[in-house]
Amino acid sequence: MMDAEEEDTKSRLAPDVTPNRRLPWFTGIELLSDTNQNKHFLPTGLEGIDALLGGGLRQGQVTEIAGPSSSGKTQVCLSSATHVVDRNFGMVLYLDTSNSFSPFRISCFVNQLHPSLPKELKETSLQTTMSNIYCQSVFDIFALLDLLHHVETTLKHTLGGSKLCLLIVDSVSSVIAPVIGGKNSQGWCMMASVGVLLKRIAYEHNIAVLVTNHMVGGENGTLKPALGESWKGIPHIRLLLSHGTGNNRGTATVSKHTLMASGRTANFVIGN
Amino acid sequence: MEISNLPISPSIRSKLLSKGYTNLSSLSSISPSFLAQELSVKLEEAVEVLRAVSDTTTSKNAHIPNGIIPGAVTAWDMLSEEQMQRHISTGCEDLDAILGGGIHCKEVTEVGGVPGIGKTQLGIQLAVNVQIPVEYGGLGGKAVYIDTEGSFMAERAYQIAEGCIYDILDKFPSNSREFLSCKERLQVNNFLAGIFYFRICSYTEQIAVTNYLENFLTEHRDVNLVIIDSVTFHFRQDFDDLAQRTRVLGGLSLRLMKLSKMFNLAVVLLNQVTTKFTDGSFQLTLALGDSWSHSCTNRIILHWNGNERCAYIEKSPSVPSASAPYLVTGKGIRGINSNFKRARIM
Repeated sequence: MMDAEEEDTKSRLAPDVTPNRRLPWFTGIELLSDTNQNKHFLPTGLEGIDALLGGGLRQGQVTEIAGPSSSGKTQVCLSSATHVVDRNFGMVLYLDTSNSFSPFRISCFVNQLHPSLPKELKETSLQTTMSNIYCQSVFDIFALLDLLHHVETTLKHTLGGSKLCLLIVDSVSSVIAPVIGGKNSQGWCMMASVGVLLKRIAYEHNIAVLVTNHMVGGENGTLKPALGESWKGIPHIRLLLSHGTGNNRGTATVSKHTLMASGRTANFVIGN
Repeated sequence: MEISNLPISPSIRSKLLSKGYTNLSSLSSISPSFLAQELSVKLEEAVEVLRAVSDTTTSKNAHIPNGIIPGAVTAWDMLSEEQMQRHISTGCEDLDAILGGGIHCKEVTEVGGVPGIGKTQLGIQLAVNVQIPVEYGGLGGKAVYIDTEGSFMAERAYQIAEGCIYDILDKFPSNSREFLSCKERLQVNNFLAGIFYFRICSYTEQIAVTNYLENFLTEHRDVNLVIIDSVTFHFRQDFDDLAQRTRVLGGLSLRLMKLSKMFNLAVVLLNQVTTKFTDGSFQLTLALGDSWSHSCTNRIILHWNGNERCAYIEKSPSVPSASAPYLVTGKGIRGINSNFKRARIM
């Protein structure tokens, strides 16, 4: 009797729910050893920020960098892309919404990395490094969701070889902000889809995800990160950047972190 | 991919979800009339839904090349492309130098400043300079000038074009054959004919013209510059709902970014200033709010430094922040030392 009822239920369920799929269980010890062995810190190349993050961008987690205009968000992204590829962690995919991806600036960062190499070696190292950074422009939220689904499908079918290790979306707020607010809730739904997708890609394929966010006016004239309270829960780690004194200097503050206390600050310098 | 991510209207989406269609495969083998009956919508709307579904599935099944996603380019390929890119000169050598050659194509540059500092003059100068033939170091392209305030004056454009031609002939005095054919093209009327002028009188027209630009640019492939003077004017006075204004402007800037990338153009947006109360004092900032300040690739602020006009690069992904003085002369925007340089050559 029970079997007949179960059969009935199974046939009525949507086609993609297979009853034989078992959820993977992990014990705490397994998780800890997995974290220590596999979840590396990817360097951003900026000492102050790496120190704040406990070593760098964590694989499997979504890190958000928020800050007012021209506080250094794109520079942190470009610097991370360069350093991660240089240390052979894997490939980098840079999704650019404001045409700010500057190959010239990447080449400046690469040349700073190994200043003492002879000229021919510098040329080859520049080519290998820059050939592992992929850039794609995204100008609306549907294209972003499409691309992220594509990335997920490709990652599922890639076996071995050089794999994606860092996904940068600069900036995720410029494609989400025009659709949220307003009368219907479709925009919030799509924002949640983007967030869940980024976290899933990070977790299932051991990738570090770096997103940038801009600031909007809050109460009493202070600035707060855009995209509101619902987005706050999506990134695992949040850093707030602000202008420092002088050129190329800035201050970063930890606003949210899974392991360490918030509120710590550090100064960072972006090299020339 | 789920139904919730399809570009269809919210009412149809909720009807689909309430009837149990949660993923694309469930819609793949349904006829439009059956779907129209199920959802109680018109046949045309059902056809639209199925077309959206088939569009997304075909793009997913497209062959994925070696790269991670189709269309992604490596930084190395972009570097070689970038090095061959020509920049639009502003007329002032110091300003060109700190910009890394001039205004970059494929980027959106915002220029802001107090009234009377020379924003419109810079806009007209760029519209003329983009047309300098390739043999003389320019792009040889045309310009689109979208005027919201009515500050474009054809007589001034004539003067600036004249001044530009005079300086080119001065700088390249050779009479070799290759230059002779170009010299014939260096007529002021040709320069004026190469500026496409749109006069906009409300914010709806402004949004409409940005939507229309894609069609226009597909027909006129030689346009290399789009100037909007000024992007602020209609949005400051007519809009009551500030949150909606931010959303509309966000969508506008994304469309401009896409156009600049697709058609390899430079987009220059001229902006006004407003006062803001920060840290206990009133300061001058660019209009349209904090969110708009993130919508451009580069930002240049024009300001007074004593009696001198100065341009300051506030935001750029590839060049450091720097300042350069410039002059607004009868011939257009020029640098401070340009008079002395010409005397030395002679």
